[in-house]
Amino acid sequence: MTTSIGSGSPRTVIVTGGSRGLGAGIVQSFLDSGDRVATCSRSETQAVKEWETNPDYAGRFLFRAADIADREQSTQFVQAVIDEWGAIDVLVNNAGVARDGILALFTDEDSDTVIDLNLKATIHLTRQVVRNMLAHRSGRIVNISSIVGLTGYRGLTVYGATKAALDGFTRALARELGSRKITVNSVAPGYLKTEMSHGLDEAQLDQIVRRTPAGRLGDPDDIARAIQFLVDERNDWLTGQVLVVDGGLTC
Amino acid sequence: MEAHTKMNDVQSTIVTVIEQLLERSNKSDIQVSLDSPIHGDGLGLDSLETAELSAILEDEFGTDPFGAGLMPETVAEIADYYIEGDGSNASVPA
Repeated sequence: MTTSIGSGSPRTVIVTGGSRGLGAGIVQSFLDSGDRVATCSRSETQAVKEWETNPDYAGRFLFRAADIADREQSTQFVQAVIDEWGAIDVLVNNAGVARDGILALFTDEDSDTVIDLNLKATIHLTRQVVRNMLAHRSGRIVNISSIVGLTGYRGLTVYGATKAALDGFTRALARELGSRKITVNSVAPGYLKTEMSHGLDEAQLDQIVRRTPAGRLGDPDDIARAIQFLVDERNDWLTGQVLVVDGGLTC
Repeated sequence: MEAHTKMNDVQSTIVTVIEQLLERSNKSDIQVSLDSPIHGDGLGLDSLETAELSAILEDEFGTDPFGAGLMPETVAEIADYYIEGDGSNASVPA
């Protein structure tokens, strides 16, 4: 049952939060590359329904309605993937939530929501997947952080804190797992044309575009291609890094 | 495999799992017996190898003593976890 990166056969890929936005773009990218993809989100979307019914993806797309901030649901989701396909080859920790507002007016409830999903849920799910990867001694993990974790952005203090924390998690985990042929990297996207950027108004987005050397906001596929690079079987000497994909905004 | 003859099924499965783990860690010259200490001068498992053993045991039996918060010190203590019923749902895989 065990498949490993490098065998040329389809990989088993988990993408958290893959039902919309950037996550959906990442799921599509791995379906396009012929892999088996499992994803979860709190509710099913139109994109999920289309993947489930597309004959091209029969037997290699799995969706579970699960809130991974709930540890029991997270555990059940990972177990469902293992029961279905055995070894997990690639994990993309994409699920995340943003709440905007200056810290002085921020509520504890919003802080908890952001930290519980972006950080604690990611750590819990990763731990389960790492145990599976250790059992077969191979794997690729990519954490989706953000340039907001590197540069800071007014109104996104808690979100930025979780993303900076994810980059620290990436580096430490890369050191733990390097000897077992498991790589761990972060991708830090810039501002994308997806829901997560919707907290920004048009004037803010225009300003971002003006300051971006590439002259546009990002597409999910810009990020998905970077992820595909990091999880390539040949890139086993690239670990513990944060790859910024932002059209040059922070250069 | 003569050393396995006096063991029950659970014990011999665990010894086999550990032997396979040692083999892929290039430590196949280490002899595994029920009274082997897991760490130090015994099997010499480091923390990452212990985590691997924990994950493999969970795959095999559905539960494992390390994940249950216990810290078995010998191979026999791992087996006892399953035999004495803490891993009550455990059965030897076919």
